Amino acid sequence: MSLASGVSIDDQCITEFNNFRMSHGKTKFIIYKISDNKKNVVVDEVGHDQDYEVFRTRLEAAADSNGKPAPRYAVYDVEYDLGGGEGKRSKIIFISWVPSDTPTLWSMIYASTREVLKNALNIATSIHADDKSDIEWKAVLAEASGGKAGK
Amino acid sequence: MNPSNPPQAAEYGGDEVSAIVLDPGYSTTRAGFAGEDAPKSLVPTYYGKYNADGQEKLIFGDDVFVTPRPALSVHNPVGKDGIVEDWDMAEKVWEYSFTSRLTGAKPGNPFQNGLNDISNDELPTEMEVESDEKPLADSPLLMTEPGWNPAKAREKTIEIAMEKWGTPAFYLARSGVLAAFASGKASALVVDIGASNISITPVHDGMILKRGVQHSPLGGDYISSQIRALFKSNSPQPITITPHYLISSKTAVEAGQAPQAKYKTFPAEKAPDASYRSLLEERTLSEFKECVVQVWPGPNKLSATGPTGVSNEETARTWPGRPFEFPDGYNQVFGVDRFRVVESLFDVKAAIPDPDSPFPAPTSSQTIPELIKGALSGVDVDIRPHLLANVVVTGASSLLYGFTDRLNHELMQLFPGPRVRISAPGNTAERRFGSWIGGSILASLGTFHQMWISKKEYEEHGPNIVEKRCK
Repeated sequence: MSLASGVSIDDQCITEFNNFRMSHGKTKFIIYKISDNKKNVVVDEVGHDQDYEVFRTRLEAAADSNGKPAPRYAVYDVEYDLGGGEGKRSKIIFISWVPSDTPTLWSMIYASTREVLKNALNIATSIHADDKSDIEWKAVLAEASGGKAGK
Repeated sequence: MNPSNPPQAAEYGGDEVSAIVLDPGYSTTRAGFAGEDAPKSLVPTYYGKYNADGQEKLIFGDDVFVTPRPALSVHNPVGKDGIVEDWDMAEKVWEYSFTSRLTGAKPGNPFQNGLNDISNDELPTEMEVESDEKPLADSPLLMTEPGWNPAKAREKTIEIAMEKWGTPAFYLARSGVLAAFASGKASALVVDIGASNISITPVHDGMILKRGVQHSPLGGDYISSQIRALFKSNSPQPITITPHYLISSKTAVEAGQAPQAKYKTFPAEKAPDASYRSLLEERTLSEFKECVVQVWPGPNKLSATGPTGVSNEETARTWPGRPFEFPDGYNQVFGVDRFRVVESLFDVKAAIPDPDSPFPAPTSSQTIPELIKGALSGVDVDIRPHLLANVVVTGASSLLYGFTDRLNHELMQLFPGPRVRISAPGNTAERRFGSWIGGSILASLGTFHQMWISKKEYEEHGPNIVEKRCK
């Protein structure tokens, strides 16, 4: 067991994630957050919009109760074309979003809960983002496709 | 209210534990209540030893600096590599760090402390006395450790916490992981510039990658030794550091002029040991590092030639110098020399030679760029770009002016392909106490209770449980 916050994963996080997997591309993303009482990870939003920019805007707009930018976790269904007639692929990517001006308290809680959520959802591919450039489509596509698409 | 009382549970969001967080370093030991922003107790890890009335006496905390007692000698229970050497004394110093300002002294025997005196002769028939109440009987304890702390030392630590201090719950956290988490990152390359060591700790998915951990002795104390070497060959005249306790009065002198001070002298039988003087000189050197010393910001080494054909040293020479006044009144402006004393952290050839230094001349594998190369070559090739994009800088000596600029240039030169990004808290306290603050937040979370090793578990499994639970 590695060092972790002990913050628990709400059952609904897993249920929504399974629905997301079964939706065959209808659901594009889920955004998760840690509840204000710092006890569990809960679903913040489930999104169906096919445009990546919609997701990115939602993630960047995440704010705490005082309206300040706040961290989030997210899963996104990345679809990409391998080119050369190899066809389309899709992969779910896990994103931790901790904007660099996040207060230390929340940085600490999000970082020390990340692996627990990622493991509970059983996702291998992940990126960590603290700057807006980290969640540009190019960066997400490159990570999800292992560098094969979007060159 | 007694100021040493922990804050009420309600003060941090209804979480009930008021744990103690102990972050022991080579130069200082940091202790405080979980949930607070900074450690309330900051004590030197050094302690003093002297004889009085034929008995050996010990001095802990800042008191060690105060009185130059006859034959007072200064010691450190922690070895130069950051690992404890003298466990008995480490226990005493650490215990002092929390009993002096946090938990208070042990309660006296209730039969003798006067609080239970009964006016008539009638004594209660039975009275249970816990005669040796332990200092942490009510407080869970989270401690930090370097990434290269060996298993034996980890077991010894939990043994002291459980058996000597009586803590009901314990956790031992790697300081590199805490520093990474405090920056919001579960994967990071942690560059920690401490007093006795500089270390590079790769952290991936919240775990340290042991094979990649690198450390070398080129920390703050080594920089002090380089400053001493510089002072010996200083012009217009060599500089001797005379600590305040040896000066009775001084007169202002012009820059570069010999000091005009009246000195205190101690006859041999009344003089403190040389280690005492050296500890006090170190205080002046710390001030010198904060006010004068500067890292050549790069690009390239100080000895290299810049793009216009002018050497970097020449460029640095044209920048305004920085003045410094020593305790004896001697003062001068330091020019390019202020860069030279730290250059060898990046360029081993720049080390100022000093045959009398306790530090052997550094080897090329001990510099920061080489340690980082070593750390990365010890980890899987796929995660190297992730680590380079998440470099976390911590440790008090990383506050040297220009340090992160130089580190950034060195990294970009070493690894031109992947993106390099450094995050270093701008806040001085967060840089000095990064690991303590990280531990303070975790240990204050109500949900952290499942991570603690309880006394019962310790009694059932023995000290080895720390290896299984605190990975």
